[in-house]
Formats: sequence, C-alpha cells, structure tokens
Amino acid sequence: MTHQTHAYHMVNPSPWPLTGALSALLMTSGLTMWFHFNSSTLLILGLLTNSLTMYQWWRDVVRESTFQGHHTAVVQTGLRYGMILFILSEVLFFAGFFWAFYHSSLAPTPNLGGYWPPAGINPLNPMEVPLLNTLVLLASGVSITWAHHSLMEGNRKHSLQALLITISLGIYFTLLQTSEYLEAPFTISDGIYGSTFFVATGFHGLHVMIGSTFLTICLLRQLKFHFTSKHHFGFEAAAWYWHFVDVVWLFLYISIYWWGS
Amino acid sequence: MLRSLPVLRQIAQRTISTASRRHFENKVPEKQKLFQEDNGIPVHLKGGVGDALLYRATMILTVGGTAYAIYQLAMASFPKKQA
Repeated sequence: MTHQTHAYHMVNPSPWPLTGALSALLMTSGLTMWFHFNSSTLLILGLLTNSLTMYQWWRDVVRESTFQGHHTAVVQTGLRYGMILFILSEVLFFAGFFWAFYHSSLAPTPNLGGYWPPAGINPLNPMEVPLLNTLVLLASGVSITWAHHSLMEGNRKHSLQALLITISLGIYFTLLQTSEYLEAPFTISDGIYGSTFFVATGFHGLHVMIGSTFLTICLLRQLKFHFTSKHHFGFEAAAWYWHFVDVVWLFLYISIYWWGS
Repeated sequence: MLRSLPVLRQIAQRTISTASRRHFENKVPEKQKLFQEDNGIPVHLKGGVGDALLYRATMILTVGGTAYAIYQLAMASFPKKQA
C-alpha cells in the first residue's frame, strides 16, 4: 500500500459532483415544466436527487474526516477559507437585494406617490412581531456561543442543550415569519414594495431554514460523539453561517422594516 | 445498596446520566475501524450494502431524469398543431 508524504487530502473518485450537476439540470428544467406546462414531475425528481446528492456527499465528508482522519491542520485551514469565501458570496447575493430596495425606496417614483412606503401600502409595525423576531435571533446568537464554549470545555450536556435551544429559536423564528407572511396586508405582487420585501425576507427565511438544518446535523453529530473539544470545524462552520443569517436579519430589520416604514 | 446518603440524593435529584442509559454510546472507534480497512473500496461505498443501493438509486434517478428532461425538451420544441 502506498503512503502519501504530504498532509493534503486526495479524495477518492466520487459520483456526487455528477449527480449534483444533473440534479441542478432537473431542478431548473423542472421549474420550467412547472411554470409553463403545469407538470411537477421533473421538479420533484430534481429536488429528490439534489437531496440525495447532498446527503451522500456530506456523509462522505464526515467519513473522510471523523472516521478516516484526513482533515489535518492544513486541510482544515482550506475548509475555513472555503466557508469564509462561501459566506462572502452569500453576503454579495444579499447585497443585490438590498441595492434593489434602496434604489426604489430612496427615490420613490411618481406612480408610487413620490413617497415610501408607496401609496396604498400598510407596512408591518416594526415594534410588533418583527421586533420579537430580532430578539429571537439575537438570543440564538448567544445560545450558539454558549454551545461553542461548552464544546471547547468538553461539557457534553451543556453543548447539546445549547445547540437544542439555538435550533428551537431558529424554528420559532421560522414559524413567526410564516405567520407574518400569511397575515400581511400586502403581497409580493403589490408593486416594487411587495417585490423587494418578499424577495429579500424570503431568501433570508430560506437561509434560516438551511442554517437550522446545518445546526441539526451538528446536534446529531455531537450526540454521536463526532466532535472533540479541539476539533469540531463542522460546528464552527455552522456557527459562522448562523451568525451571518442573524446579521442579514439585522440589516433587513433596520432597512426594510424600520426605516422603510 | 442504599447505604450511602449521596446515592439517595442523586436518585432524588435525578442526576444519573450515563451514555448507555441514554442509548448514545460512542461508536466512533468502530466506524474508524470500518472506514480505515485497507480494502480499496471508495469512501462512498465503504459503509456497506446500503451505500451501494443508495448510490444506484441516485444514479438511476438522475440519469433517468436527465433522459426525461431531454425528452420533455424535444416535445416542447415541436408543438403539436391543433387539428
């Protein structure tokens, strides 16, 4: 058996990049079939194969790291850079939607009435559920920091409790926001206000769900003793992502909910 | 067995917790042995039969789905004229 003389990770050939790319094709063509031909078969197939790919790909990363020990210090450094760059790309993604919001709200056109919020729009009261949502996410930032410290101190019970609290707060936010969406007096088709509001908050909500899922995976892995007090990058990546989601909400709250009302 | 007070206090406060009682035993060493076995099997199949089944299912769905997508594209490209 040959042994490598470097600390980098040469992965085994994997089918998941191919299935992932094909699932992207199925999701996009599926959306087209759903929009234009009222058929959801391709879309469902796309979502299913996408989920299967993600599950197996990340399962393999856990095997390569926790079970095979391939995540040396230099490999972990690469993963840190990768996660940071990914989050940076997401920041730019949201920047676009904030640009759109400010473009329309700083100089409201005559057909909106020349003011913001536009004529006919009753914005949500920022001191009601949106404020609660802000407190929920801020609290979840505290609990995830507690979870991290507990993890580093080797306190298994506390790390599990704190992670569970964080996830619960994330789910609570999602439920509150869903209720707000259902009760809102305006819709996505209510002009540029509706578009900017629902696209920006909608993508944020999606990221809350993704973050909550990532944290749940961390909870399961911590239950299964995968993390050590010194090596738990998966958890750190989830924590960074979660803080990013929190910060995006703060910007949304200040800009759209508060200033924009 | 009930000879010491600390035990009674522990039972009263329900602070007993052992990994086995909560069904979470550390199985990582077993997994490490399984996945480090020198058998040449790639990591995505190394877990056992379940891996192969899941892989096959994923492949069939993605490749089959791609064929279906191309078929739908062909159908959409040549709309049927109304009689």
